[in-house]
Amino acid sequence: MAAKWIEALTGSLEQKREYKQQMARLEALPAPYAEAARALNRYFMYYGAIADGETLVTMLGDHVELWERAAVDGTPVSAIVGDDPVGFAETFVSSYRHREWIDKERQRLVTAIGSAIEQERGRES
Amino acid sequence: MANQMTEMLKGTLEGIVLAILAAQPAYGYEITARLREEGFADLAEGTIYALLIRIEQRGFVDVAKVPSEKGPPRKVFTLNEAGLAQLEEFWTAWRFLAGRIEELRAHRTPGSTAHEGA
Repeated sequence: MAAKWIEALTGSLEQKREYKQQMARLEALPAPYAEAARALNRYFMYYGAIADGETLVTMLGDHVELWERAAVDGTPVSAIVGDDPVGFAETFVSSYRHREWIDKERQRLVTAIGSAIEQERGRES
Repeated sequence: MANQMTEMLKGTLEGIVLAILAAQPAYGYEITARLREEGFADLAEGTIYALLIRIEQRGFVDVAKVPSEKGPPRKVFTLNEAGLAQLEEFWTAWRFLAGRIEELRAHRTPGSTAHEGA
């Protein structure tokens, strides 16, 4: 009962719980994977601009899983990230950006330009 | 040279991965291993992983989680109908590009600025 209006104010409690679990899994990774994962995670937060909780939780879940897998298989950090950590981080985040607020703005831009072009055509004929 | 290769590969890697998945379902590491065998030695596993996620988010593959002996379950990716359509589009674009670029090379004349050693 109380949870419902709290969620309306703060976002989904379920997502918060999941987020906390993911962060705990991230911290529990063995060295040097935890360090790599933490560094990437920090960059995601600055670069990502992911507005909705669901997307964020999905992304972090996949990210933690990637490192857990690497730790079990013994895949070196360098083999995961490659020689361009920034490029890797940005490619990773951009996979999840399709539901972002910017999509609305993109659609708006396309519509506005479309109507401008229509006006232009109207004048020509 | 290596850098130009990286840039070109970036644009085509999605198509390459779709083509591999069209042959048979696979999980991330299998795809990386296969590409390495075929000469893409410098490819990072994470690059393929990120790309698979992108493909998944765009709905080109179906994903099944298969338990593994150790660690989290492995995600096995299977190309679906939307993925097949995307792959067909890739081949069309590829044929066009490859054809045009080859033609540019074939028509290079000694007087042109692109001439080697000029």
